[in-house]
Amino acid sequence: MDTPSGKLVRSHCVGTTAVVYASDYLNKLTGEKIEHECRRQLNCGCRALVIDFSDTKLVNSIGVSILLGIIDIAEKCGARIAFSEVNNETVQLFEMLGLTRHVVLAKDEREALINLSHYETTTPVVH
Amino acid sequence: MSSRSPSENFRRILGRVVRQDFVGRAGELDRIMAQAEPGNAGRGLLLLMEPSAGVSELLRQAYDEIFNDRTDVIPIYFAITRNETTAVSAAIEFLNTFVQQYIAFRRDEPVVSHAPLTLHDLLELAPPADFEWIEQLVESYNRLRFSNDDKALVRFCLGAPQRIPAGRGRPFVMLDGSQLAEYLNGAVVLGTEILRVFGRGGFSFVLAGLRRQILEAAHDAKCNFELLDTLRLERLDATEAARLVEHVARRQQVGTSEAARDLLVQQFAGSPFFIGIFLQAAREKHTPLLSYLDCERLYVDELFGGHIHRHFADLLEEISPRLDTRHLLIRLLWEAAAGEEQTSSFEVWRKRLHMTGNELEDVLHRLHVQEFVNWDETTVEAGAGPQAWKDYLKIRYRLDVLNEPRALVVADMLADSLKRAPHTMARHYKQIANAGLRDLISRFNCQRVPAVLFDYNTFSNKYKGAESETIVSGLSAETDFFKLPQTVHLASCSAFINDMRQICEEDHCLIAHTFEEGTYSDAQQVIWLAADIESKMEVDVEIARVWLERLENTAGRLGFSRYQIWLISNEGFSAEAATLLVRRKALSSSRQQLGLLASRLGETPLTPVVPSAAPDEFLMVVPMGEDNELIAANTAEQIAKRLTFRPEAINQIKTAIVEACINASEHSFSPDRKIYQRFRVESDRLVITISSRGVVPANLNGTNSGSETKQAAEERRGWGLKLIRTLMDEVEFERVDDGTSLRMTKYLRPQQSTKGANE
Repeated sequence: MDTPSGKLVRSHCVGTTAVVYASDYLNKLTGEKIEHECRRQLNCGCRALVIDFSDTKLVNSIGVSILLGIIDIAEKCGARIAFSEVNNETVQLFEMLGLTRHVVLAKDEREALINLSHYETTTPVVH
Repeated sequence: MSSRSPSENFRRILGRVVRQDFVGRAGELDRIMAQAEPGNAGRGLLLLMEPSAGVSELLRQAYDEIFNDRTDVIPIYFAITRNETTAVSAAIEFLNTFVQQYIAFRRDEPVVSHAPLTLHDLLELAPPADFEWIEQLVESYNRLRFSNDDKALVRFCLGAPQRIPAGRGRPFVMLDGSQLAEYLNGAVVLGTEILRVFGRGGFSFVLAGLRRQILEAAHDAKCNFELLDTLRLERLDATEAARLVEHVARRQQVGTSEAARDLLVQQFAGSPFFIGIFLQAAREKHTPLLSYLDCERLYVDELFGGHIHRHFADLLEEISPRLDTRHLLIRLLWEAAAGEEQTSSFEVWRKRLHMTGNELEDVLHRLHVQEFVNWDETTVEAGAGPQAWKDYLKIRYRLDVLNEPRALVVADMLADSLKRAPHTMARHYKQIANAGLRDLISRFNCQRVPAVLFDYNTFSNKYKGAESETIVSGLSAETDFFKLPQTVHLASCSAFINDMRQICEEDHCLIAHTFEEGTYSDAQQVIWLAADIESKMEVDVEIARVWLERLENTAGRLGFSRYQIWLISNEGFSAEAATLLVRRKALSSSRQQLGLLASRLGETPLTPVVPSAAPDEFLMVVPMGEDNELIAANTAEQIAKRLTFRPEAINQIKTAIVEACINASEHSFSPDRKIYQRFRVESDRLVITISSRGVVPANLNGTNSGSETKQAAEERRGWGLKLIRTLMDEVEFERVDDGTSLRMTKYLRPQQSTKGANE
């Protein structure tokens, strides 16, 4: 079920996992939209987040900074997070800025959901 | 320039520049012209000048305009110069000028206005209808001239305009340089006599003088203040002063750059006088003013022996004619200005200068009038005056008192001026950035605005990440309103508490005296203390607490019983900080909220765009913001494709450009809000230069170490430069006077260049 929130951020839930879609350019404004949506999903009871980058062509450092903030928020809520379908250039950028140490990268949304569901069954969520 | 547009037949008579080149005093010129209208007949206008504000050209332009209008108003312009040594000689010169300009107007022959003519010559030129009364005037003058009654002679000469017979026109006298009238030798105080005669003469007049002197002189002359109007003549604002520099430089054929122009405006604080003589010096020395170094070299030359030197040397000589006393005065002025305690007593000054009380009163009065010191009869505060005056004092002190080698003093002054230049501009840019807050608070006038604009936490929860249209429509639907008070007084916090100067820039912290509902009672009086905190990220709780306590202490020290603290930060406040502020009843806003508040109060933001191009390289100028960095990145992509960069390298170039643009937008306090980009294609490389005007970031050459996620969020924003260095092959900051210029080079790898530039 797709839940449009705001003008550009698409998201939907698969069980207790929310999938949020990043736009073609991840900067301050679009990053904040994703952050807002992630917070909303977590407040609604989601226990895991997938941020899908299939449409994303360019990410700037402020966008990365906001993604790190989202990882922090997820950690505080005891939620797991994965990024899916990140293009090679963006993966390089994430590696350069140390983001990949804090997040699971998945080939696509399906793989991300599988990874997170495996995690949910094996690791209890501690609040 | 005046709103009146001169016709093709407009004749330039006394004006030294054509009307199109007369910039910066349009309002003042209109006001003087209004003074000449019949409704103001018999009224005087006192032009209260800030020292070095410049007034002569304004009065000469007014003369030309009135002359060309050909109504019954007869313009008379007279300037007292330093060449006049006595009140009598100045008054005689006035009489001569009056008759000459009267006849020039009556004959409609501008050349007569400034021809070297004696009274006898003028009598011969007088139109037949005027011959009789002018002849009587000259005869009376000749009788009085040898009567040994100086006061009567001075009054007769100054009162000549009132002898014009009815029906021959209304004289409109404009007197320039009245500050010199006070110090002429002889028994007659010319300044007082001018005001006395003009004030009772029944004709309209304009008297320009230093603001601290002229009102005092009007009181001394027992003028009827009901017949006197005043007009304050201050230095030009930055925009008008920049126009003035451009016009004068063009007229003087001196090459200038934008950066040099803006530096001159700031260094001379918009003074038309200093700007004029400086550009004149540049012309005389054939010195183009293209860089900060050009400007400061000439400035130092001027301080040591040019027009600026002569101006201050003349003033000092007038203030203290005796050489030995002058040296003591220079020493005292500089030591007081440079020391921590700038205020001392009259008695201390008297002892240090070895003067009698009367002598010192005279010196202090003159210094006070020139605004070099603030003197209130008991205490003297040094350290005032323009920067050029302070620099002049410093070099005179080092040369005359300390006897230091001239070459050393010159070199030090040049180095100091060069070091000061970027700081001068940075201060200006920060002032511009914060001018919005000052303007905004000054416009508080009991408007009702959505309360969420003063509560960052609520705003963030509701609107963070939302499109601007969504926010605007959301605000329109808000039901919780906040009624602004009416602002009656607004000043920098440092104007109240000097210590604040060391903590923040002048316009970053403001104190506004306001009344709720516009009702002037104790119960409705609220003092707003607003601080704009510099931060690229959300302000955390510690910083918020520091500012809160700082402003609470300020309110306590100043005895404000009811006050309202308002903290502003670019990116708002962390949740913890926002909670603290709500608990302590402080208001909080981000820059975005401030912008929304400004548009509610009627401010229109500006986003100019000026594109340009060149044949063998690509030049582009884009406004900052609005994701315009993508335009630059996409342009680079197209250019890089021509050089057959691989997609991976193209993406690296694009990311680097995006980061460089973000850096320029975030750090620079740019005055024009533009990013200048140059893409130069070479056979084996692409060279991209991203420039912006404004403040040079403190960490410009810093190489940020690899940031861990646990590092402060502030550091994350320093990633841009690190990324650029990683993604590009060469990264270098080019030296520019104003702002930054980042040059980035990406080389074609050997395997890529096989297709190469030959294709």
